[in-house]
Amino acid sequence: MAGLDILLQNVANGVLMGGVYALIGIGLTLVFGVMRTINFAHGDFVVLGMYSAVLFNALLGWDPYLSLLLAMPIGFFAGVVVERFILSRVVDAPPESALLATLGISLIIGNAILLTFGGEPRSVQVSYASSTFSIAGVNVSMVLLLAGIATVIMIAALYALLNRTEIGRAIRGTAENRLGAELVGIDTRRIHSIVFGLGVMLAVMAGVTLIPLLFATPTNTGAVFTLKAFVVTVLGGLGNVGAAIAGGILLGVVEVLGASYFMSEYREAYGLIAFLLILLFRPEGLFGRTVKRV
Amino acid sequence: MIKHLIGLGVLLAVGIAYPAIFPNNLTIAISVLLFAGWATSWDLLGGWNGQVSLGHASFVGLGAYFVAIGQSQFGLAPWWTMAMAAAFAAVLGYFWGQLTFSLRGPYFSLSTIAVAEILRLVAINEEWLTGGATGVFIATLPEPFGIDLFSRTAQFYMALAFAAMVIAIVIAISRGRFGYQLRAVREDEDSAMASGIDPTATKLKAFMLSAALTSIGGGIYGIVLAFIEPHVIFALLLSVQIALTAIIGGRGTIWGPAVGALVLVGAGEMFRTTFAEANMLIYGILILVVVLFLPRGIVGELARRHIRRLYAKRAQG
Amino acid sequence: MPNVLRADGITVKFGGVTAVNNVSLSLGSGEILGLIGPNGAGKTTLFNAVTGFAPMHSGRITLLDKDITTLPAFKRTRLGFGRTFQTERPFEELTVLENVLVAAFLTAGRRSEAERLAMGVLEQVGLADRAHQPALDLNLARRRRLELAKALAVKPKVIFLDEIMAGLNPPALREMIAFVRSLSAQGLAVLMVEHIMEAIIELSDHVIVLASGEKIAEGTPHQVTSDERVIEAYLGTD
Ligand SMILES: Nc1ncnc2c1ncn2[C@@H]1O[C@H](COP(=O)(O)OP(=O)(O)O)[C@@H](O)[C@H]1O
Ligand SMILES: [Mg+2]
Repeated sequence: MAGLDILLQNVANGVLMGGVYALIGIGLTLVFGVMRTINFAHGDFVVLGMYSAVLFNALLGWDPYLSLLLAMPIGFFAGVVVERFILSRVVDAPPESALLATLGISLIIGNAILLTFGGEPRSVQVSYASSTFSIAGVNVSMVLLLAGIATVIMIAALYALLNRTEIGRAIRGTAENRLGAELVGIDTRRIHSIVFGLGVMLAVMAGVTLIPLLFATPTNTGAVFTLKAFVVTVLGGLGNVGAAIAGGILLGVVEVLGASYFMSEYREAYGLIAFLLILLFRPEGLFGRTVKRV
Repeated sequence: MIKHLIGLGVLLAVGIAYPAIFPNNLTIAISVLLFAGWATSWDLLGGWNGQVSLGHASFVGLGAYFVAIGQSQFGLAPWWTMAMAAAFAAVLGYFWGQLTFSLRGPYFSLSTIAVAEILRLVAINEEWLTGGATGVFIATLPEPFGIDLFSRTAQFYMALAFAAMVIAIVIAISRGRFGYQLRAVREDEDSAMASGIDPTATKLKAFMLSAALTSIGGGIYGIVLAFIEPHVIFALLLSVQIALTAIIGGRGTIWGPAVGALVLVGAGEMFRTTFAEANMLIYGILILVVVLFLPRGIVGELARRHIRRLYAKRAQG
Repeated sequence: MPNVLRADGITVKFGGVTAVNNVSLSLGSGEILGLIGPNGAGKTTLFNAVTGFAPMHSGRITLLDKDITTLPAFKRTRLGFGRTFQTERPFEELTVLENVLVAAFLTAGRRSEAERLAMGVLEQVGLADRAHQPALDLNLARRRRLELAKALAVKPKVIFLDEIMAGLNPPALREMIAFVRSLSAQGLAVLMVEHIMEAIIELSDHVIVLASGEKIAEGTPHQVTSDERVIEAYLGTD
């Protein structure tokens, strides 16, 4: 009886945490799917989102969710600028160049935040930070639930954008075959800018929803989130938005269950081990279509 | 070839005289030399062989931990533990490579981050061996020929010997069969196979050598630090620093990584007061400059221009 | 004539598509075997399967009576295969000489020895004056010759030439035909894919015709060029 309760509680925590991981992963996978670029700065954009919430809270007293109204468009715009001025110049260079460019952007963001805000951890106090409520004997954290709801809304919006709009069709076309898309008159450069903007916007949003839960620090958190995003997307299949959701939830559950039933010190390692195993034996991801090993 | 040997001679001559001329600037010089050695070792795999690792801090950490634990728990002298670390790093590189070389490009880089992170977690959590998150302290060291290994001068000469040794190895390799095998595999694995080269074996050898050399520098670093903390020595940032030093200086060139170390550590020192601990900002800016404007790195672009000029002259005359 | 190379029942499938279906061939030293067929017939794929660059579904390959069916490509090279790639694949960051050095190091232990071998081959193919030029800068005709030099520098017993004459102008074509003939005169077994019938007719001792992965005819150049099925295969497609 008790065992089952604990299992349910663990799975619930894992799924909710996984929702946040999914939100972080979607942006990375969207960018990879369309641009074939692995964005090493993704986690730093998440951290940028956290600090934007900190900033709006300090200056205007806003709740993090309110600051999304400003943070998301700014994030989108920042992404477009980065794509236009940096990444678009390396699309045709060897794939490593884009990876190195994003690594550079990552270092610049992290250290610029460090210079601006200093190194001590920052957070935003919200009244609901530690409130929980229980459903059928399972305790649910308010913050995680809100993040989960935000994830669901965002995914629905993204789904609608990709499947119901003209731009969405162009994005999917570019992802499938850039040359082909260009032949039918799609401006793939513009699509790349939009997609990178969306990716950064998603990262920023994940950061904002996380700030009531986690402290933001300038340089280390970014790398942690980038790694989490990699794990999520590789679990699901790089470039596959739907699978990133499943990958996020899977990572959340694997971490929580691994930590409660095996060695809790290795909580972080379980996801990494799963990540390595999948890279090695199913590089297309658990849910991806079979792709040729490149 | 002659040019490179002269370069090596100049490095050694300047190095030997350095502590007498700049006795107060030894720590930064040690930093330059260690990074030169690490980046050159990294380059055997990342530049000459084209497999970009973002996990080389693992080998630095391995060397440092071997020296520190060997000394503090078993009373083993650092030269024995460095040799053991190099052997262990080569074995680790062998299995690591076996696992990950079936992956290409960014997937390989990603997998190296994951393996390095797992090693870091092991170092933090296996307290009985590593001292856990607090780390290990080197309290005593042997005094070979009466040399105090805790003195900065002795450490400087160790770092100099390390950097010079690695560069000498690369010079020797670059002109021989192995050097061409490395480059052929980097350029085109199928075409390399058509020349009778086993790509996997080549990459494994490069990885093992690169890992072993890096760990020797790690052992020296352990002595320099005297206090080894897992979050410092196994940091992803250190792995990134090593890779970027080589790439900014010029991948697959003999002097590129060393020049990169000089430029980056030097710039870091110059802006130390401006940027304080945010000095990785320089790495970020320079890697963008290199990717956008100097894709072969500093030395790579210079060498390229030199070759073009020679060629243009020959075509005219 | 003793067989240097024998391939029996080679079948290659990509997913559901059979690119090469149950094709056999054999080749003696000094012999030139021509392989022709319309685009997409499976000629390159057959080359790749025999040289170890494409996974085979079934079939058996022997080189000098040694079974090499399961050996990886680089081991087949070491046993005596040299090959060119239809779209040339030089090591672009290396110079012309260094490209050939890579191959020369297969048999030469020392740098000086490898360099002598590589320069010799470059002279043979007429690229010696380009030895120190970056491979990236070569024009098409010279890239072809470099491809050939790389294949020769491994000192092969059998050489596989995949459309090395396509796109050459008439004088370059004449040179290349003479060159291939000189290779067979030295005792090399030559397997060549070629669209240029002039070269096939002049050079081949024996010709195999592929269409849609099947061997539809074989014989002397004269026999196959007058074969109904062959003419149909060529006219029937494109
Ligand atoms: N790697 C591959 N994957 C899938 N199909 C392939 C591959 N390589 C070749 N094919 C297919 O096999 C067939 C034969 O191609 P190929 O051997 O290149 O023909 P040829 O050299 O005679 O022009 C073609 O239909 C081609 O599309
Ligand atoms: Mg072909």
